[in-house]
Amino acid sequence: MTSERSTGPLPDPGDHTLLQKRVDRRRALSILLGGAAIGTSAVAACAPLGATTPESKEARLLAWREYIKGNYRTMTEVERAETIARLERLAELKRGVDVTIQSTGAQPGVVFGYAFNISKCQGFRSCIEACINENNLDRRAATQYIRIFEMEDGVVDLDHADATFQHEVPAEGHFYMGTQCFQCADPPCVKVCPVGATWQEPDGITVVDYDWCIGCRYCMAACPYWARRFNWGEPEVPVAELNTNQHYLGNRARKAGVVEKCHFCIHRTRKGQLPACAEACPTGARVFGNLLDPDSEIRWVLANKRVFRLKEDLKTEPRFWYFTD
Amino acid sequence: MTRVTTALVCVALLGMSAGCRERDRAAKEESAELGTRRGEPVADVARAHSETTAIARTDTAVAPGAVATVASARVDLWRGPGDRPFDVTLRTGDPASAMSRRFGRITLRTSLRSRAADLGQYPCTSCHLGRRIVLADDRVADAHQNIKVSHPRQTGGTCATCHSADNVELLALKSGERATLDHTYRLCAQCHFSQAEAWAAGAHGKRLDGWQGRRVLMGCADCHDPHDPALEPRIPFRGPRIERTRGSGK
Repeated sequence: MTSERSTGPLPDPGDHTLLQKRVDRRRALSILLGGAAIGTSAVAACAPLGATTPESKEARLLAWREYIKGNYRTMTEVERAETIARLERLAELKRGVDVTIQSTGAQPGVVFGYAFNISKCQGFRSCIEACINENNLDRRAATQYIRIFEMEDGVVDLDHADATFQHEVPAEGHFYMGTQCFQCADPPCVKVCPVGATWQEPDGITVVDYDWCIGCRYCMAACPYWARRFNWGEPEVPVAELNTNQHYLGNRARKAGVVEKCHFCIHRTRKGQLPACAEACPTGARVFGNLLDPDSEIRWVLANKRVFRLKEDLKTEPRFWYFTD
Repeated sequence: MTRVTTALVCVALLGMSAGCRERDRAAKEESAELGTRRGEPVADVARAHSETTAIARTDTAVAPGAVATVASARVDLWRGPGDRPFDVTLRTGDPASAMSRRFGRITLRTSLRSRAADLGQYPCTSCHLGRRIVLADDRVADAHQNIKVSHPRQTGGTCATCHSADNVELLALKSGERATLDHTYRLCAQCHFSQAEAWAAGAHGKRLDGWQGRRVLMGCADCHDPHDPALEPRIPFRGPRIERTRGSGK
């Protein structure tokens, strides 16, 4: 073990790429910690009940490297590629799934906006179903980003709205209104984060670095729309239902003790696709598009329909409008 | 453009309300118009149908979130946002070309399907060849038991209000023009002009190819049953409940 440490890089068969990298302070620390991890595991292996396979060893090493990586925003492209390679390998080692994690950046000249037609929504909740499947939301804790509120005709009163209806819809004399993260232009959740683990991207999507979040939940307290969700345990998603098309700032695996939120399906929308909720809606109540494109559908809605935003007086400038036919 | 069309449609509607005298005149005009190409209609439709069959989806495995290739045609009456032209989907004649969307590992079929496959008694020419539509209600009810007709009846319409009397595989527009079953928006827009305007602009209906790039919309009959257009009530997705944070329970 001593000789291993003094020679630096570990003789790990699955880790050839790391052997050729320049050794800086952070990396040297990570190698040392990795060595310590292997050392510990070797000791554990001597115990009668312990069992160490090459896979578990590799997983532990990768987990160590993940533990000491930086904030996504401060990473270089190389570091991003490395952490994505580690996360993909970890997913393979831990769950046997072949995931693809993107780091696609924002398109220039694009700011996303969303419009929701409360005359059209029938309360079918197809959007919620699609969201849960698309974003690998925790099935056990029943996490959902979207809520559909049922309200009596005549007034938008969320205090007396029902988001748990189970009866046949649409109910007589009621209308439906969906909420999710509104991707505010002036997001209070970002202001209160003490560690800079959440920020607004150039295309207006507020994202979370799940590996930088410390789980203080200040952002949840700051959000006036209850758009953020906390993982009390590690999210459970059956392997058969796992969406392997992932984004680092989006639907990749979260861990226990971190906050997550709707990210307008960042892995889809940055490639020109619609968010899963908009695509799944059978009523056409959801309009999504680029606010900076004067010829976009969302701009037509804003210019031609009567629109309003929720709790507009808070001046968080949501990029999510409600409209009626 | 749209304003002018809307005005025209209004005029057409006023004309409709004039009653059966008007309808008779329209029918006469129709047959006169048809006379100019009497030799070809049936063959025309058959050819058009085989062409759309040929434009079937090429890939059967749909990538997650991808849109299956569907035939589309340029809309010639309405303009989208920014006064730009756009495409409307054409359902292909191939039943296998139904479009599927994948959410994670779950594949959901969307309502974009072959109209022909949906029609229980297609092709219409198997019965209607060379005959005019029989308007007697009992006869129609016998022959088309599978069609629940609520929509044209509310407005006092008959089969010939929408279907061309001489070739039921075509839709009869009030202008005397014909439209194929894939171009229902031209027919529907005659009355539902505000919906058609919103549809063209993107506030009604669904866009298929994503928010960027080529703009392909679903047509009217992709979501609405033309004979019974209202969406059926249904039991909502019974997802996991979430707890309320505020307010009284209900």
